[in-house]
Amino acid sequence: MSNPTVVATAARPDSGRALLRVRNLRTEFKVGQGRVQAVNDVSFDIHPGDVLGIVGESGSGKSVTARSIMRMVRAPGEIVGGSVEFGGEDLLLLPEREMRRRRGSGVAMVFQDPQAALNPVMTIGDQIIEALTLHGTEKRTARGRALELLDQVGIPDSGVKIDQYPHQFSGGMRQRVVIAIALANDPVLLIADEPTTALDVTIQAQILRLLLRLREELGLAIAIITHDMGVVAEMCSRVAVMYGGRVVEQGTVEQVLRTPRHPYTAALLAAMPRLDDERLGQPLPAIPGSPPDPSALPPGCSFAPRCRFAEDGCRHEVPALLQVGDEDQLSACFVAQRGVAVNVTPAFDPVAVDPVAAEPVPVEDVLVEHRTAVDTDTVLEVRDLRVDVGSRRRGLFHRDPPVYAVDSVSLAVHAGETVGLVGESGCGKSTLSRSIVGITPVAGGSVEVDGEDVTSMGDEQVARIRSSVQYVFQDPYASLNPRRTVRQSLAEALSLRGLRGAELEAESHALMDRVGLRREYLDRYPHAFSGGQRQRIGIARALARRPKVLILDEPVSALDMSIQAQIINLLEELQRELGLGYLFIAHDLSVVRHLSDRVAVMYLGRIVETGTAAEVYGDPQHPYTVALLSSSPTPTVEERTREQIVLQGDLPSPANPPSGCRFRTRCPIGPLVHPERTICAEQDPELLPRHNHQAAACHFPGELL
Amino acid sequence: MTSIEAIGRARATRRLNPTVARYLSAFRTTRGIIGLTLLGILVLAAVLAPVLFPGGYDQQGSTSLTGMSAAHPFGLDEFGRDILTRSVYGLRIDLSLIFAAVPLSMALGMVLGLAGAISERLGEAVQRLFDVVIGFPGLLLGICLVAVLGPGWLALFLTILISGMPTAGRLARAAWLSQQSREYVLAARVLGVPKPKVLTRHIVPNAMDSIVVNGSVWMVIGVYIEAGLSIVGLGVQPPTPSLGVLLNNGLRFVTQAPTYLIGPALILVLLALAFSLIADALNEAVNR
Amino acid sequence: MTRFLLRKAPSVFFVLFASSIIAFALPRLAPGDVAVVLAGENPDAQTIAAIREQLGLNKSPVLQYADWVGGLFRGDLGESFLLHRSVASLIGDRVGSTLELAVLSTLFVIVIGAGLGIMAGSARIGWVRALLDFTDSLFVAIPSFVVGLGLILLFGVFNRWLPVSGEVGVLQNPAIGIQYLVLPSLALALGPAAVVARFIQTEMATMRKAEFVDLAVSKGASRRRITFRHVFRNSLGSAVVAVGLQVGHVLAGAVVIEAIFARNGLGQLAVTSVQSRDFTVLQVLILGAVFVAVVCQLFTEIILAALDPRIRLGE
Repeated sequence: MSNPTVVATAARPDSGRALLRVRNLRTEFKVGQGRVQAVNDVSFDIHPGDVLGIVGESGSGKSVTARSIMRMVRAPGEIVGGSVEFGGEDLLLLPEREMRRRRGSGVAMVFQDPQAALNPVMTIGDQIIEALTLHGTEKRTARGRALELLDQVGIPDSGVKIDQYPHQFSGGMRQRVVIAIALANDPVLLIADEPTTALDVTIQAQILRLLLRLREELGLAIAIITHDMGVVAEMCSRVAVMYGGRVVEQGTVEQVLRTPRHPYTAALLAAMPRLDDERLGQPLPAIPGSPPDPSALPPGCSFAPRCRFAEDGCRHEVPALLQVGDEDQLSACFVAQRGVAVNVTPAFDPVAVDPVAAEPVPVEDVLVEHRTAVDTDTVLEVRDLRVDVGSRRRGLFHRDPPVYAVDSVSLAVHAGETVGLVGESGCGKSTLSRSIVGITPVAGGSVEVDGEDVTSMGDEQVARIRSSVQYVFQDPYASLNPRRTVRQSLAEALSLRGLRGAELEAESHALMDRVGLRREYLDRYPHAFSGGQRQRIGIARALARRPKVLILDEPVSALDMSIQAQIINLLEELQRELGLGYLFIAHDLSVVRHLSDRVAVMYLGRIVETGTAAEVYGDPQHPYTVALLSSSPTPTVEERTREQIVLQGDLPSPANPPSGCRFRTRCPIGPLVHPERTICAEQDPELLPRHNHQAAACHFPGELL
Repeated sequence: MTSIEAIGRARATRRLNPTVARYLSAFRTTRGIIGLTLLGILVLAAVLAPVLFPGGYDQQGSTSLTGMSAAHPFGLDEFGRDILTRSVYGLRIDLSLIFAAVPLSMALGMVLGLAGAISERLGEAVQRLFDVVIGFPGLLLGICLVAVLGPGWLALFLTILISGMPTAGRLARAAWLSQQSREYVLAARVLGVPKPKVLTRHIVPNAMDSIVVNGSVWMVIGVYIEAGLSIVGLGVQPPTPSLGVLLNNGLRFVTQAPTYLIGPALILVLLALAFSLIADALNEAVNR
Repeated sequence: MTRFLLRKAPSVFFVLFASSIIAFALPRLAPGDVAVVLAGENPDAQTIAAIREQLGLNKSPVLQYADWVGGLFRGDLGESFLLHRSVASLIGDRVGSTLELAVLSTLFVIVIGAGLGIMAGSARIGWVRALLDFTDSLFVAIPSFVVGLGLILLFGVFNRWLPVSGEVGVLQNPAIGIQYLVLPSLALALGPAAVVARFIQTEMATMRKAEFVDLAVSKGASRRRITFRHVFRNSLGSAVVAVGLQVGHVLAGAVVIEAIFARNGLGQLAVTSVQSRDFTVLQVLILGAVFVAVVCQLFTEIILAALDPRIRLGE
């Protein structure tokens, strides 16, 4: 399993040989009376063999840029200026009929959500064949070519699969089909719009690897649109950073990641938690504020309101994208263009970018503080919990067999401690967390809150005890009732504590202060808030019941990169002040690393490894943990030469888990590779202690590094 | 992209309950205004009928079955009675029927639809009952009720009442089912909010949206049920005029006085148009 | 597929069972003695006694119900005590007329509905779309009987182009029969067709936003191809559902339309039997109507399942 491709950063060929040349592209959306500039004066080149990353947050215009190249902007969007030169002609000037001939054959596209990108009522074979025949392939030869394509993108059993429908494929396999369709007519440029955002890390690793292999084999140029700096570091040779509809920085991946020349890029890189983070216990240098609304961009540089380098000029005039520093690195920043270094390493820069951030605490002290906390009382303990998510329909003659999404899981959360729970979607981590708070019924085992078992209690008691375990949801848009003001949402929770009138009012104010929101916002409805602000409201509501434990279900994964650090800092601060225990559920290993004292790794309803964060990340024992860590993209250039362990296949269904070790069907050290290891199929490995606090459920722990 | 507008709207209506504010916003659109005005005129005419036409609907004249004229815009019927007068009095019957039956039907339907909140089994049972009512296509239910109760206002009222309930009930149940898994409803449960409160605070306001729209659609259907049954002779019984009765009479003299039909039909269509426009406007408003 | 149908079976049977109870209960709910009610106006004691004997009114209601339903299964639909004819022959005489009307109407609903829906769902020129929208809204809002009255005035009174009263069997004399049939069928079909069109239009608008349409565009597919192969094909399910739902309305509307166009069909039979309180006829008609509606519903679901590989291949 060695990495086949180390992305070569070819020396810049002269720009005359560019495959695609985008110049001054502008795309607008008509909204009401006004016009929103989604893409504003964007220029870049893609050369043969390039992998260009276009990176940005929501609303930065990155996806609209990709669609503009294909001339696939939907109404009310409209390309209003610039040129897109491809193969010696300006695509924007072609008649639609001519453009249609270019789509798919010259430039092809891969979409974000493979679930939605395939027509549900056509077999995948027909969908590939359609792409072929549209560009002149004979019907007779098309099927053969379709089979070839399926083999090429790594779909096993192509002869059978070709006649199946999309719903019979897993997410990763669907994305392979979409790629096969894109490759059908030998395009020279592939535009991939967030191709792995909807996928799990181990599947993401498979798809990224496939793209790199195809680039190598077919000599494709690829443009990847992404929000993930890690994906950029892993895949790309060049990168364009977008913010507020403009490219603010451009250069080779090495240049941009090592020495960012735009304050936004620099601040973003500094604010991201990392797998190898040394800043544990310290607040992240978060970027204040939130990304600009494309319909209300500030007059000058759109980043100026959030920028700590901003000067007067920045607020009035838009800086041009000019060469700064090395050859080929461009930055649209007046300050950087004067030669000021904007990438001051934030660890040594205690400027409180975040108003709520406390003084940085030395690492050692925090760890000690946490350790002592761990030894105190256990506030939440889960023992042998099983949750049946099988259909509850009872037929006359049969009963559906149980499906245990959570199967004999035990874990404990102490006051003042964060337990990170990681795993891919479908591993049961959300089911587990929801059954702890009583949303999903429990099929077996016990949930003890403050030493009392809530699974065997009457309703009234449960309500009293349960209030000490509260929940923060992933999607801050869905977790607030759009018809109720913040005041009403908070009052709902506070009144359950018996608060009325002035007392309730005072407590609402205190909660708003605590989560860093202004009191005047109390009478607003949720739609008036940004995602980050809504998540603060969600946290305030959970705190209203004075919980001892918060269950945080992916609380930052729906937020923009630049907002995540703010919420992470808030959570850390609250924990310090209130001594809360956290059960932090996430698929992003870096965030978990930053926040957690202890970590539990879940696979198919079981915990396969636990230990302190340092142990699990530093010396993983279970091969699944190793693979997860290895698959997580990190935003550093140094990491790109490392060997990656890419897991094969998909997560099996919990309705029919493999015998013995549940991981054996994908395990890189199991019977797949070592057929003599029959024990893996015969015996279910127990979660046995390895080192101090670390335990792994594997017959051959610590073998894979 | 529209978040700026959203904020603007939020500021404008910050103090108002957003559910009410959204319904009201329907009447700021062109369709809403036209619909409401039209309905207003018709209701006003119906209410003021005894003042406008003090002679009552049974005043006979010497000539009969004339066409339209300035004195009698809709013409005269077979007994020389003014068709406009009869149409307006007929409108009174129709409006009294739908204003009595439809809101009650929607309310009962919603309550029954939410029965699942009390017990899963009860909810299922109610749905099966709704299946049966829906199995009786439209006027068939009316025919059954007339067969038992005899023709008249009561049979019409019950027909509209019962036939409207299943749709309202299904909408309420659908809202309940979909809201149950919404995160803000789960959040309320995790906080420990008692079930009835979750229902009234989070689920009913949501169910209301579709039911209010549906209610204005059923106003139209209610009028059609009256007219349909009266045309075949099973609805309102002459000499009492209703829009359906007038159409029935008009049909009998269609060759002698083709214009007889046009007046009552016009009123009927205007009434339907008013409610359709209001329904459209409301639908747009709640989905905004 | 079989499992899918088996899952539907209980609710279908329940609806039929409940309807049969209602139909059975009708004469017994009406005020007065059932036998007297059934005997019609001015009955003599002998008739009443005969009816009492024939229906077994002295037996328990459960037994009476069992007898009645048993009779239906054996093909014995009962007898009209007013007309002294078997219900089967009364229905047999009229079923053809209603069937002609229903079949042609349904055809119109499908053709006009799908045509209008696809046009509205793919029209790109502003005023064309507005016109189609308006036509749609108009026919959604106007009931079949008003359309019928309009057609009568237009084609039968102001212009004498088509017959508007009475009927001729299409099978006996196709050329003339069709002339009698066209207007009532059209009157019956336009409203439901507009509803179907609206369904298709909305669904197509939703489908057009789907990402698989983007994929098709990025393949280089033409607009027409996208409309039919991708957008309409995926909207077909809800089109079928819409048609299925409207069949019930067509049946119910037939009662009024038959009256307006003076067609002697089952609807007219139902109306006269209510007016003359001929319950034995009415009971069978009601149960029959529910049965037809339920069967149509079931057909819809089957077609729907066949169209969607996710249901067809599911489980």
